[in-house]
Amino acid sequence: MTEAPTIAATVPVSNLAVRSVIFDPSSLQLNAAAIAPEGAVLVALLLSLLVDLAGEQVAARWVPPICYGGLGSALLLLALQWNSPAEPAFVGAFLADNLAIAFRSVVAASTLVSLMLSWRYVERSGTPIGEYAGILLAATLGAMLLCGSTDLVSIFVSLETLSVSSYLLSGYMKRDARSSEAALKYLLVGSAAAAVFLYGASLLYGLTGGATGLDAVALALQSSTTPVAALSLVFVLATVAFKIAAVPFHQWTPDVYEGSPTPVVAFLSVGSKAAGFALALRILVGCFESFSVQWKLLFTVLAVLSMVLGNVVALAQTSMKRMLAYSSIGQAGFVMIGLVCGTEEGYAAMVLYMAAYLFMNLGAFACIILFSLRTGSDRISDYAGLYQKDPLITLGLSLCLLSLGGIPPMLGFFGKIYLFFAGWADHQYLLVVVGLVTSVVSIYYYISVIKMMVVKEPQDASDVVKAYPELSWNLRGMPALRAALVTCVIVTAVGGILSNPLFGWAGEAVTGTPMLLQAIAAATAHASLG
Amino acid sequence: MNLPTEIPLQAYLVLAAILFCTGVWGLINSRNAVRVLMSIELMLNAVNINLMAFSSYLDGQLIRGQVFAIFVITVAAAEAAVGLAILLSLYRNRETVDMERFNLLRW
Amino acid sequence: MTIASTTQLICFAALSITLVVGAFGVVLLPNIVYSAFLLAGVFLSVSGLYLLLNASFVAAAQILVYVGAVNVLILFAIMLVNKREDLSAIPGLALRRVLSAAVCGGLFLLLVRVAFTTPWALPGPASIGEEATARIGEHLFSDYLLPFELASVLLLMAMIGAIVLARRDVYTSDVITGEPADQGLIEKARTPLLTSKP
Repeated sequence: MTEAPTIAATVPVSNLAVRSVIFDPSSLQLNAAAIAPEGAVLVALLLSLLVDLAGEQVAARWVPPICYGGLGSALLLLALQWNSPAEPAFVGAFLADNLAIAFRSVVAASTLVSLMLSWRYVERSGTPIGEYAGILLAATLGAMLLCGSTDLVSIFVSLETLSVSSYLLSGYMKRDARSSEAALKYLLVGSAAAAVFLYGASLLYGLTGGATGLDAVALALQSSTTPVAALSLVFVLATVAFKIAAVPFHQWTPDVYEGSPTPVVAFLSVGSKAAGFALALRILVGCFESFSVQWKLLFTVLAVLSMVLGNVVALAQTSMKRMLAYSSIGQAGFVMIGLVCGTEEGYAAMVLYMAAYLFMNLGAFACIILFSLRTGSDRISDYAGLYQKDPLITLGLSLCLLSLGGIPPMLGFFGKIYLFFAGWADHQYLLVVVGLVTSVVSIYYYISVIKMMVVKEPQDASDVVKAYPELSWNLRGMPALRAALVTCVIVTAVGGILSNPLFGWAGEAVTGTPMLLQAIAAATAHASLG
Repeated sequence: MNLPTEIPLQAYLVLAAILFCTGVWGLINSRNAVRVLMSIELMLNAVNINLMAFSSYLDGQLIRGQVFAIFVITVAAAEAAVGLAILLSLYRNRETVDMERFNLLRW
Repeated sequence: MTIASTTQLICFAALSITLVVGAFGVVLLPNIVYSAFLLAGVFLSVSGLYLLLNASFVAAAQILVYVGAVNVLILFAIMLVNKREDLSAIPGLALRRVLSAAVCGGLFLLLVRVAFTTPWALPGPASIGEEATARIGEHLFSDYLLPFELASVLLLMAMIGAIVLARRDVYTSDVITGEPADQGLIEKARTPLLTSKP
């Protein structure tokens, strides 16, 4: 114990040094305005919980406008942040660059639309509406913060906020065994993925010698070729792949999508997935840049598997929700093409495709929610002959599915062609060819649904359609559903023609993001050297 | 109380690895859903041992690992509560906690 | 070797053995109640390890949260769902166990190899010791303020969600139309549920 006095003597000095590291005036900027949109969501969350105390009737009346207000102002604040200089907020825990803003907007918009689809569904099932909105807004809060987190601890906590809220939402229909079962499976797989991510994060923390910021991790990884980096890459990648439901980390998706309430599935398939892609960009491009060859190879494999398996298995499905689950796995595979490219076009195409996917997928979900509200069914065969009874669903679902399949001139066509173009320019021939072939496969099963709805003669219509209830929009919650449906379908149908500003925004999302620009510059420098 | 330590950092890391792998094994093989939740807690504790060891050996002044571990503990508690609530609601519907019989939805 | 370091070694060895034996017990014992009590042992020995690592605050938090809350919660859950079930035999179960044990063993070797081959930045700065609690507080209100605030939202939601899912009372009607509702998915299952009450 002879060295004890020397330690005691050095402690005050080093303490001062340490204090100045934590409270360095230049990094002290809290910059709390960066999370103003999240603040709006949080206010809406608390208000809907408070309003819910006054009883179900009051909640059903007031929660929807509160949510619209909160999410609308969040979107407005995000628009105001666009192209502002990206300064670290919360002492380096958060960064509101254009990439984060783009993905946060996708998340907030997907929540807004999902909520508009939810009201009638939740009321019809007799579950409390205030808590439903609160939990969905908490998931949104987690997803939005995940898009901009630049610190392992912030990433972990926001990831878990998103995940825990998602588990609760998928089990929300608590008297239905399928819903509870989906929630339990989601929880077990999700918590295991979180634990694996944490193990990777703890190794990264040790590797940096005591820092949790992503920039410090990137610095430590540059000078490290030890197995520890490879291992933490695999651990972190597994979690990212789980979140975006890439094959072979997709097993939870079909079950969770089939067993969860349909509006929740709409959120999970767009909002949660967008946050997953933002996390992938943040960690893989921002941190593992020095291992880009390795992770790009792994992601190529994941993308090919996702496109093939997602689109081929979707052919055999009889449930609409399950079919859309597999189709969403395939769609995630398409988006991964942009991630693997690592060029400016690739990243821009990712952002653009996520935005397009928001509208076409939510439009499709709006139609199937409306159909199940009217008939209580989501079997594909029950859609037979629908055009006679409900032209709106038939038209909307057809347009959205055609767009998902990538038929011109829908929005999805332009998104997909941009992705394939970026992939081809970056010599990712395998990915592009697989993407094209599986697109054709996907068109086959999307068209077969449309054929089921349109071509059947009235006498061949399914029993459900024969007993179709009279169309009525006067119940509370139905007008919101109709508005969301019509908006999504219109954007999907005519967005393609007006896609020029969208291309511009997607480009700006990349050029306004220092992290991506650095990665692109490094890649070009590397290419010109080699 | 800063004892000069004779225990190498690697001892803690190996301990954490044992705990983590035991947790993974339990996760794959347990048939009782409660036991699966316990296995996940084992994995999270392994992570915490890692974080605390790194914090003490490499980051003795800023101890970020200790803060990280506190967050992990917080989140694990929330996750356990949610997990058990979901389990309870599933048990009311199905009257079983056997993982092999949760087959309404195919794996 | 001083008395202090010998004591430390003995403590570490004892805690490690409890930890490993307890962890194996948690996953292997047939009776789930014993598993839950062994889990408490694992949590306690982990907290002992934290004390050895000069982290008394986290050790206390570990005992309070894990042993005091999580473990009690798990025991309650076991009591609530403790219907004796005769698990039906599954063909190939033993093979599955052996195969997964091999996989986990491989993972373990990999993790150990990483632990020993990585040049950790040793020795790091001297430990802050008993001032750790104050330092943790500084972190929570400076560079970890964002996760700290978000964790409060997470806990609030976990609490509300757990109550909503676990409580028994139900709104059994549609609040708008007054029609009876069953708190189930709107898409009804076509094949009758396998209720399979043994």
